[in-house]
Amino acid sequence: MLRKLVIAFWLAALPALAAPAFAGPDSQWVLERGTLTYHVSHPLHQTEGVSHEVKGKGVCHDGQCSFLIAVPVKSFDSGDSNRDLHMLQVTRGAQFPLVTVRTRLPESTAASATIHVDLEIEFAGHTAQYKQVPFQLETKGNETHISGTIPATLADFKIDPPSLLTMPVKNEIPVRVDMTWRPM
Amino acid sequence: MVRNMQTRLRSDIRVLLVVPLVVLLARPLMAEVAGTGALTGTVTAPSGAPIAFAMVTATSADTGEVRPAVTETDGTYQFSLPPGSYRVKFESVGYKTEEIPSARIHLTETAVVDRKLEADTQTDSKTTTPAQDQKTPPPKNPTEPSLEDLGISSTQAQGNAKTQALLDKRTHMLKTHQRLGLITIAPLFATLVPSTNAKGSHGMPASASGRDLHSVLGLVTTDLYFTTAYFAIRAPKIPGTKTRGPIRVHKAMAWIHGPGMVLTPILGAIAYNQESRGEKVHGIAKYHGPVAIATAAAFGVAVISVSFKF
Repeated sequence: MLRKLVIAFWLAALPALAAPAFAGPDSQWVLERGTLTYHVSHPLHQTEGVSHEVKGKGVCHDGQCSFLIAVPVKSFDSGDSNRDLHMLQVTRGAQFPLVTVRTRLPESTAASATIHVDLEIEFAGHTAQYKQVPFQLETKGNETHISGTIPATLADFKIDPPSLLTMPVKNEIPVRVDMTWRPM
Repeated sequence: MVRNMQTRLRSDIRVLLVVPLVVLLARPLMAEVAGTGALTGTVTAPSGAPIAFAMVTATSADTGEVRPAVTETDGTYQFSLPPGSYRVKFESVGYKTEEIPSARIHLTETAVVDRKLEADTQTDSKTTTPAQDQKTPPPKNPTEPSLEDLGISSTQAQGNAKTQALLDKRTHMLKTHQRLGLITIAPLFATLVPSTNAKGSHGMPASASGRDLHSVLGLVTTDLYFTTAYFAIRAPKIPGTKTRGPIRVHKAMAWIHGPGMVLTPILGAIAYNQESRGEKVHGIAKYHGPVAIATAAAFGVAVISVSFKF
């Protein structure tokens, strides 16, 4: 009898003990579509490079969501192949082909109109942290649109400012973010 | 007679002033291009076959600056380096990495360092490059998304040091092309300004000194032009790149100023001979001026097309 009780106890307890180890996410988000646009200022030029090849996913656990966004460096298009190749060279884009952005957010922020996000960006072989970057949120039906600007600089990633006609570009390269997410 | 000598002297002084000015303008670049030493060599397999696309890096013992190069299909590589001592590393997939602790580069001399790489029989021990060091995916954490979750394979996330070295070489050569192109504007402009003295104007005969000055400046322009062109033509092409944007105008203009830079001195030489014989410039030599102007205009458009955004 005692033996049966012990077996019954373990059968009942095992799933509960094993649950944390095998727990799936509470919810997940997927990046439906998005663009990242960098802006470069030069005394003779104002240039923007856009990438539409943005991929992202969010995984939520216990009210906290972790997001990962990745975009190939070579996918940025400024409308000039020569400039894009130069950008790829100065950012060491062949050696470090991806820009990745990681962030954590409380699940409840999905209902806010404005959020302030801590970002960890890996680019050109260096990682930079950005604290409390403001983003606007707009939810329409099943989709949540996020937009904002990351105040990135070349110095954040130890990139030497490229120059044209011996004049270097400005250190500031703000990156505009436009993304549409939906729950999976 | 005395007056003629004075005119000649004035002209010689002008040449003496202009030529050093051009040389002075070109000096920073020449320090980079010609005033350096060179390191060259061939990387081969144990069989003696050349190894294409092997990575060669030269690290300055004085400054720590690292310069990469990639071997050509015949296994050769080449660096233009400031004088000093360099550590030279040779890497290629499937071969053991080898390093020469010190190669001495002397000004204007070419050091030759050939290397035979041993085959790497251990398949697991790949050559370590900066690209392979980067972004080793962190251990899979079920609470955080990974690159695999985004459909990005580890191969896609991994860098390519060879392509980076090609890009570095391309940028270095195009930067030199850009600087030389800007320097070329000075003698080009200076050649056009005294051209009236070369052919004579307002019924006045052409002056011999004017022709000489014009010829010297023209030759300096032509030399600088073709050196400029060399760096653009020899810059490595990146496979899979489609030419887009203003660079197309820049390249299209080369089809005008390129032949123009060949024709202008030829026509100029014919005109010079005709003038020297006391003849009026005639025949195809008459087109020396218009061809030169069209060439200079195309060159100007080429520079402007990549300098300003329209």
